[in-house]
Amino acid sequence: MNELLDQLMVAIKAGKRKDARAATAAALEAGIDPQSVLDALTEGMNDVGKRFRANVIFVPEVLVAARAMQKSMDLLEPVLVASGIEPEFSIVIGTVEGDLHDIGKNLVMMMLKGANFKVIDLGVNVSAETFANAVAEHNPNLVALSALLTTTMPAMERIVSELSSLNSSIKIMVGGAPITQAFADQIGADGYSADAASAVELAQKLCA
Amino acid sequence: MTPRQRIRASIDHQEPDKVPIDFGSSGITGMHCSVVEQLRDHYQLEKRPVTICEPYQMLGELEGDLLDAIGVDTQAIFSHGTIFGFANENWKPWTTPWGQEVLVAENFNTTEDDTGNVYIYPEGDTDAPASGHMPRTSFFFDSIERIDPDFDEDNLDLEDNLEEFGPMPDAEEDHWIDQIAKWRGCERAITVPLSGTCLGDIALVPAPFLKQPKGVRGIADWYMLIAEDPEFIARLFDRQVGIALANMTKLNAIAGDVIDVVVVCGTDFGTQNSLFCGVPQVRDIWLPRYKQINDWIHQNTNWRSFKHSCGAVEPLIETFIDCGFDILNPVQCSADGMEPEDLKAKYGHRIAFWGGGVNTQQTLPFGTPEDVRSEVLSRCEIFAPGGGFIFNSIHNVQARTPLENVVAMIDAVHEFNGDS
Repeated sequence: MNELLDQLMVAIKAGKRKDARAATAAALEAGIDPQSVLDALTEGMNDVGKRFRANVIFVPEVLVAARAMQKSMDLLEPVLVASGIEPEFSIVIGTVEGDLHDIGKNLVMMMLKGANFKVIDLGVNVSAETFANAVAEHNPNLVALSALLTTTMPAMERIVSELSSLNSSIKIMVGGAPITQAFADQIGADGYSADAASAVELAQKLCA
Repeated sequence: MTPRQRIRASIDHQEPDKVPIDFGSSGITGMHCSVVEQLRDHYQLEKRPVTICEPYQMLGELEGDLLDAIGVDTQAIFSHGTIFGFANENWKPWTTPWGQEVLVAENFNTTEDDTGNVYIYPEGDTDAPASGHMPRTSFFFDSIERIDPDFDEDNLDLEDNLEEFGPMPDAEEDHWIDQIAKWRGCERAITVPLSGTCLGDIALVPAPFLKQPKGVRGIADWYMLIAEDPEFIARLFDRQVGIALANMTKLNAIAGDVIDVVVVCGTDFGTQNSLFCGVPQVRDIWLPRYKQINDWIHQNTNWRSFKHSCGAVEPLIETFIDCGFDILNPVQCSADGMEPEDLKAKYGHRIAFWGGGVNTQQTLPFGTPEDVRSEVLSRCEIFAPGGGFIFNSIHNVQARTPLENVVAMIDAVHEFNGDS
């Protein structure tokens, strides 16, 4: 691999934001094609996801890696757009109505971005109507719902039901501390993942 | 045995006459105010609004008549200040978004936006930016992150993250003097929260009690700091421990002989299936500083030291024991690696389990009363032998938990205890 791309990947894996930005700038300056830069980013984040899932690294290391990726993307994204390179899959994501917790949702979002998903983040306390409007506007491949509280699990059920009735082909994945596979099955979600790394695998599977 | 003797025996791994019960001893072992109201009705106690003892999670005070009705062995003394920086005193009525009439402190000042979302303010000052937000359909507040516009992650100042740590204010000292006079002689075990000993409780990082917090106040920023600059964190904690030890000395002088259990720490180290930090990092940063606190407690008082951490913390329990904690809470048995039989066998004779009684994410809110009874009896059978077990649900009993399940939980402990 090109030395600059290698530096970029190392910076992503280690969460070195300044190094990631510098390596990205240098790679683009050197005329390396943006798809190769993106592939290096994705490969770096894929490694982060694997180590996170294996309990080799933890939330702080994932967050610094994701921030380093974002610093790189800040430079890369306009070049990708200009080159007509777009993510293959898109996902609308949010924490359900009544719930303000977003650490888990943000981790999932970062890992999805790292896997080159286009992510439309609706934030926290998101109503069924807002999700429905976002689906209509962006026509995503997937919707991802998060909840931390037992008291907001009914809102998750309601949102799944309303989105499914509006668009029977839309795929919905769910997650969050009190959520289980059984609950996902019960409310008719298409998938459940227990952590951010496996959320990416699930999203890729649901889009395939 | 008196309730206090029962609690102390169990913490010290002597099997008491019956499994001791806690509800309401702290902000992590309590009940949502809506549940407290329903329980008061269930036990046909005097109808009166529930007092909010912890406004962030909207926990209701379990008054003496309810503690008696449930058979609770603990008595909480809460801090003077709340997480929103106002004192818990001079009560006034407030109607919650779900229509419950409660009593809140005089400076529990809120505003509502046009969609019914509720906002609460540091020190009750509605001219300051709101520091807490309760969505219209929610039952709790959560912090609003207020990031200082001058915040520079490449140029951190230790003092910015020390603003809330300082000598015990006079009002707090007076509070303890009053409370200790009130509760001296109480037969229940007295539990109190220590101040400034959490070392990085993520709920406190955004400083919802400060009007204009400076420094690292974003939750993600805090976690990233752990990865990027553990030295900064260690220096910050050293300063916090120094301040805390001075305040503990003062508390001991005022209340030392009345207190049984101190809640040292609510800092969560676990997620549902993993840790927030690796074991070596916890041992490097947290262990020596928690040990300093716990060593002081054991050398200077007869208090027992209580550590809370949600999640899959089995890989850290040995470290918590090395830190000198006497008690682990909430013992989240549903998290990965937290099977109750294994915990009891491996650690049950070295650290007391305060919690673990029933799953508040699944069984208690969504199971049947029989599911609840069965889980409670099973947990008591596993954890009670040889002591080292104080019954409590796994974290606070949440809003919307069916009353019949809460009653089934309480009745099942009494069934295990052979109470009539």
